Amino acid sequence: MTLLSLSASAGEALALGFATGPVCVATCGPVVLPWILAQPGGVRGHSRQLGLFLGARLAGYLLFGAAVWLAGAAIPRAWTGRSWLLGAVQVLLALSLAAFATGWPRRRRAVAGQSQPLVQIGAQPASPPRGALALGFLTGINFCPPFLVAGVRAAQLASLSASLLFFAVFFVGTAVWFLPFLSLGLVRRTPAVVTVARIAAILLACWYGFSGLLILIERIVYG
Amino acid sequence: MASSSVPVRPAAFRGVGRSLLLTLPMALWSLLMFTPAFLHASGVARASGAVVAVFMTALFYQMMRTGTTYRWRRYFFVALGMLFPVGFIAALLAARGSMSIPIERMVSGDTPFCFMVIPMLIVPAALTRTLVFPGSILPTASNPHSIAVMIGLWLAMTLVLGKAWCAYACFFGGIEEGFAAFPKRAKIRSLDPRLRLVPWAVLLAVVLLSAALFEPVYCTWLCPFKTVTEFAAVRNVETAAQMAIFVALFLVLVVALPLLTKKRTQCGFFCPFGAFQSLFNKINVFEIRFDRQKCVDCGLCLHACPTMAITAESVHEGKTLLNCMKCGACVDSCKKDAAVWHVKGTPLTAKPERARLLFLYGAWAMATMFGGSVLANSLATMIHFVIPK
Repeated sequence: MTLLSLSASAGEALALGFATGPVCVATCGPVVLPWILAQPGGVRGHSRQLGLFLGARLAGYLLFGAAVWLAGAAIPRAWTGRSWLLGAVQVLLALSLAAFATGWPRRRRAVAGQSQPLVQIGAQPASPPRGALALGFLTGINFCPPFLVAGVRAAQLASLSASLLFFAVFFVGTAVWFLPFLSLGLVRRTPAVVTVARIAAILLACWYGFSGLLILIERIVYG
Repeated sequence: MASSSVPVRPAAFRGVGRSLLLTLPMALWSLLMFTPAFLHASGVARASGAVVAVFMTALFYQMMRTGTTYRWRRYFFVALGMLFPVGFIAALLAARGSMSIPIERMVSGDTPFCFMVIPMLIVPAALTRTLVFPGSILPTASNPHSIAVMIGLWLAMTLVLGKAWCAYACFFGGIEEGFAAFPKRAKIRSLDPRLRLVPWAVLLAVVLLSAALFEPVYCTWLCPFKTVTEFAAVRNVETAAQMAIFVALFLVLVVALPLLTKKRTQCGFFCPFGAFQSLFNKINVFEIRFDRQKCVDCGLCLHACPTMAITAESVHEGKTLLNCMKCGACVDSCKKDAAVWHVKGTPLTAKPERARLLFLYGAWAMATMFGGSVLANSLATMIHFVIPK
């Protein structure tokens, strides 16, 4: 593959990412916004969490990029297992959101004797990145419309590396649209704001769970 | 209906002459609003318009005469809540023979616009310049209540009156306020204070999901009032599930919980539009304040508030919470006159009755314009049921 065709492909991916970024934000917004709003405040802390989220999302993109190239364009377009995967991803997303919103991992650690120290010396340690990584990865392999468009195009490329590059640059184009989420770090973290974010996350988890189960049930019933 | 739990001030707060004089502008406004009814060819329409014009003017007169607000507003509001579905359903049955709307009619933009959808339009419109509602932006022959007209009217009134929309204009709130008025005492008296945060969470969730799915999620999945208005035709498992959710939410939030708590539970603990309206209280000039020098912390206002918009802490700070809808229940219940109507930027002691008058002229004008026409139409429909043409 020549440098020229690689550049053209990267340019196309970047343009596609920029153009479809608002739809990506709209698709991932229900997951990102309540989750980030419930995190400890500050632009710096949010930058770290958003960075982890986007990193995990990139990993999901690259995994999908590799899969579509290896399988050809069948995965995004006509692969019969697509709905299984989509349903399973939605259910996992629901479980992750619900776990984060109810503070289940934290409670489990507390039960295991790893609760917060009585006296905190120095700055409070950053919250574990598991939530950011899980939600980022699961939204990264979600079949949103821009993702499918990019998948079809990446599958037509000449090599695996070109497909991965296409998805990586596409990711950069879409990630720009996520930067405004950093401004949420300026929102004052009152207990009310955190409670609202957690309740919203539970409602959204219900939605994703219901939606995922519906997809799986339809798949089972109609084949 | 049981008598109001809100104490009423002395019957003669103001003399008859002064009360009539203060009512005169509203009487003229009522005449103006019901002019189309008075000019209608049908005698029933003319009679309905006259009855409602007198009804609205009489209630306003009572507000002026007694100095109380909540009780008289509630008569109107409950009548609106109970009669709106009658007129609406009758119109749907006349137009298409069913309360359900087929998907093809929705796609062609025949769905009447409902103000509940407004918060869900903003993010998709900003991100993709798309309106996620199957209506027409400008009025058409088949649907005069276009999106632009409804949003314009709502915005103008909300800027002037803030969350008072929920107490003087909402077509739905009166249904649960009616149910809440039935029992003499609440069976459930202790409610988790975190419940008042749920509308904000529902607002956040439906706004985000509406942007993600490109559909008004609250309307398609969560609106309890679909039960008594219009819903998607049940043709598959999905629409059946939607209908089941509508009915369940209606029975729990609009009927059962108001009967048990004597609160407007759908409005106070669920409605995302109410939460959205609350934001406008920040920029609106009218508010309820508590004079700390008169307040004896008796808690009567806390119990009177139908949406839990007052806490002991907020009273201590001399104000209500952001979700106050200015119904006047707290002011009317206060025996020490510590709860007062107030115009922002003026001293707290600066003639609260004048602040109340300024507010009520706007609020009652809105009530007459929106609710009055609905009442008149529904009344005419009911008369037609009894006395066919």
